[in-house]
Amino acid sequence: MSEFTKTIIRESTDEAPEFVVSFASKAVHQWYNFIHFIEELPGGLLIINYIKASHKNDPWRTLLEVLLALLALRYFLASKYSQDEKDKVVLSNKEIDDLIDDWEPEPLVQPLRKDERWQLDAIPSVEGAITKHVNVIDPNTNQKLTDVLNFASKDYLDMSMNPIVKENAIKVIKNIGVGACGPPNFYGTQDVHIRVCEDLARFLGAEQGIIYGQDFCTPTSVLPCFLKRGDILIADGGVNIALQKAAVISRCDVEWFNHNDLDHLEEILESLQDVLSDGPLNRRFILTEGLFENFGDSPDLKRLVEIKNKYKFRLILDESNSIGTLGPNGRGLPEVEEIPRSEIEITMGSMANAFGASGGFCLGVKGMIYHQVLNSSAYVFSASLPPYAARAASTVIQLLEDAEITGSENPIIAPLHQNTKLMHKLFRNSPSLKNLVKLRSSDYSPVLHLRINHELRRQLNLPEGYGGPGSKSLMNLYNLRF
Amino acid sequence: MKFFPQHFDAMLPKNGYPPWYSAFESFYPRRLKKRLDDCFANPIHGVPGRYIRCFNRYSNDYNDTMYYDGTSKPCLNLSSYNYLGFAQSVGSCTDDSIEAVKKYGTSSCGPVNTIAHNDLTRSTEKVLADFIGKDDALVFSMGYGTNANLFTSLVNSKCLVISDSLNHGSIRFGIRLSNAAVKVFPHNDMDKLEKIVRDAISQGQAKTHRPWQKIMVCVEGLYSMEGNLCNLPKLVELREKYKFYLFVDEAHSIGALGETGRGVCDYFGVPPSKVDILMGTLTKSFGAAGGYVAADQAIIDRLRLDITTNIHGESQPPAVLQQISTSLRIISGELNGNEGRERLQRIAFNSRYLRLGLKRLGFIVYGADDSPVIPVMLYTPPKMPAFSRMMMERGIAVVVVGYPATDLITSRVRFCVSSALTKEDIDKILTDCDQIGDKLYLKFGSGIAGGEKVPGDYKKGIRPRWTIEEVLEKTPEDCKHPMF
Repeated sequence: MSEFTKTIIRESTDEAPEFVVSFASKAVHQWYNFIHFIEELPGGLLIINYIKASHKNDPWRTLLEVLLALLALRYFLASKYSQDEKDKVVLSNKEIDDLIDDWEPEPLVQPLRKDERWQLDAIPSVEGAITKHVNVIDPNTNQKLTDVLNFASKDYLDMSMNPIVKENAIKVIKNIGVGACGPPNFYGTQDVHIRVCEDLARFLGAEQGIIYGQDFCTPTSVLPCFLKRGDILIADGGVNIALQKAAVISRCDVEWFNHNDLDHLEEILESLQDVLSDGPLNRRFILTEGLFENFGDSPDLKRLVEIKNKYKFRLILDESNSIGTLGPNGRGLPEVEEIPRSEIEITMGSMANAFGASGGFCLGVKGMIYHQVLNSSAYVFSASLPPYAARAASTVIQLLEDAEITGSENPIIAPLHQNTKLMHKLFRNSPSLKNLVKLRSSDYSPVLHLRINHELRRQLNLPEGYGGPGSKSLMNLYNLRF
Repeated sequence: MKFFPQHFDAMLPKNGYPPWYSAFESFYPRRLKKRLDDCFANPIHGVPGRYIRCFNRYSNDYNDTMYYDGTSKPCLNLSSYNYLGFAQSVGSCTDDSIEAVKKYGTSSCGPVNTIAHNDLTRSTEKVLADFIGKDDALVFSMGYGTNANLFTSLVNSKCLVISDSLNHGSIRFGIRLSNAAVKVFPHNDMDKLEKIVRDAISQGQAKTHRPWQKIMVCVEGLYSMEGNLCNLPKLVELREKYKFYLFVDEAHSIGALGETGRGVCDYFGVPPSKVDILMGTLTKSFGAAGGYVAADQAIIDRLRLDITTNIHGESQPPAVLQQISTSLRIISGELNGNEGRERLQRIAFNSRYLRLGLKRLGFIVYGADDSPVIPVMLYTPPKMPAFSRMMMERGIAVVVVGYPATDLITSRVRFCVSSALTKEDIDKILTDCDQIGDKLYLKFGSGIAGGEKVPGDYKKGIRPRWTIEEVLEKTPEDCKHPMF
């Protein structure tokens, strides 16, 4: 022990009790042994000199440096493997070979059952053009049945066989060929594509538009651009499958409200208010359809717009079935309720249904559309729409605009409305069908949705609902509670 | 953003509404990519064939708004996917498509399972399946959509999908949508792939260690950014050994590779029955649009019933179906005699000639020698707009690719060779590349990749970088040699 240590002990013995003194002396003794040991190690002298130089009467600094050094040591020596590696079972090579020989994968697809084979054969095989009357091959007899009335196509305005549309499409094919041969960002945008975007925006009253190659891929590509983890989407429970997939793939928080039940929507919004006002300003959307593909009815758009303005949410409306069919001029659900298009922040639609071409589109404000040009996967990674389809859609829009008469229904759309009303009336008032089927769709929907009636279901031993968000509304309809 | 809020409208919160997208996320597109924007999204008009007419445009505010004066310039087209030159407005394909529009109309009128399964669809699918060598095929209206919705019907969360690290965005999207477990193996590294497969089979699912229901390996036939092929013979060998399912995406290779144009299986001599699912797109080599899936009858039957696109989405319009059918029959030789063979030979010659010429000049070119996709490395992002603008002045339209499709410092220019180009066109391209390469310091290679000028040079340490005259003189004959 050095002179220094002895001095400390002698001086402090007056105040401290005996065991503290002996403990302190032992501790100091150990400390100096430790320092001596470090000096013996190679490089130890460097460490000691460094600490002495940097100490500068500030013990906290030295403590911080020592802790950082220990942390660095721990980090570099820690295992580099992820959590998966930790719960890996250790196997020898022979065991791995045995496991590989034993492993039997399932077949890539399950073979078709008998009822599925029947379903496959029941897909109607059409011969020739698809118009009002088609020729179908009977699956049982393989005979061709001619002049079958066609209630299955989505060409609501019969534009696919319209001579003016066909003539314009043929002109484009004669000039340009069929395919666009490239993604829109790499020399695939042609002037016809830009024109159809302008036409759509002008016809529907939006600022700008963007087109996609297929209407089914449009929602799954648009929604993930604006919804990421942490954002909120409140969707109607009865939306079609493309929108459901889009909601799930965008990894945001999704809340489903009962189909067309705007009270439930307000309830959800009220309950979220505390969370929303405290948290960061994340992006919030409400998702619904103009004319539901699965139900054939529409939401109360006026009330929906009031709600979304009150709670500061943005509205996404998928108008695949309602553009060209609803409203006196075919401008969709907002025209029916006389709401300006600017109230709906994102409108998605399809050019394959009423417009008699192919592809999908999205409309909105300029900044939103510009963002999709670089970030939307189906726009960046896929080839653009065949130009003749864009031209066909442009022609249909032009025909609709030219035939417009202010103050009354567009004469191209009027027959559709009349036929729809007539069909619904016939089905609803038919005495023979009253006990068998129930009409689920609303009177203005060009697609009729028929459900098997309650009593007939019981007779046939069928369940009430088959699961999924739509079945809840069915149960509500019949006041059944499980 | 504080001083000029009107420029950042979509990124600032307004009236209590959150911004559409965050300024941080969009930093690269706004600040860096925008300077290059005049090289992208060029509107064109006319047939995207041998010449393409690009609209002239200029911008006063750094590419924020573009002004068009209505004039257009015809440029040699190295940018469109036109491998066999079917992007034509004359010829039997176009005539047949016009007939199809007259007979069937412009639209498909609904999903396949509802109404659109007509005789044109059936005959096109049959022709396609015969061409590829599989039992049956399904045709979809969008190539991206085919991949996006295919995996949901094949794999679920108890299955494992092992995909190549450079797979296309549509494959990655489709796998994500299906909720399957994913493992990624380094690009074309068969040893790592084998190790991952062995680990996966022996360890089973994570945490529960139950065996996987199915294991599927997804690769592409021809990678569009690299220009190289997958190692198909080794993959088939591994498939026999480990019993996984193989999915090959032949988006770029169908119609362009192989002796008869039947894709990567034809090129390697592997029978198509050894690959479980062959998927491809019809945009590139056939001048149409859309995608297809070809597999055994049982798989196709199940997919025909189950795939969501068939049940809910629209199907191929009639004109496109007819274009596919006619072009397939031309390639296989049924129609128009030797036209198919001529096209295949032209693209083989064009791609080999251009590639060998560029290598001899001293550029660094990626990819296999036979592939029609020729990426030339530029490495630094500023050379992208320089190359593109200089080529445009000389009347050639090219595609430059940078982040995020490639790494930030490995930007490249990608030439898409077409059989519509003549030898004189390629001579012009080589001459212009030579001039631009000298100006922009792009000739990083020593030229040895193109072969020695005099045999024995390499041992003496001579690294030849050929002059353009030598290249134009010797290369057309040399490129027919299997050595180059």
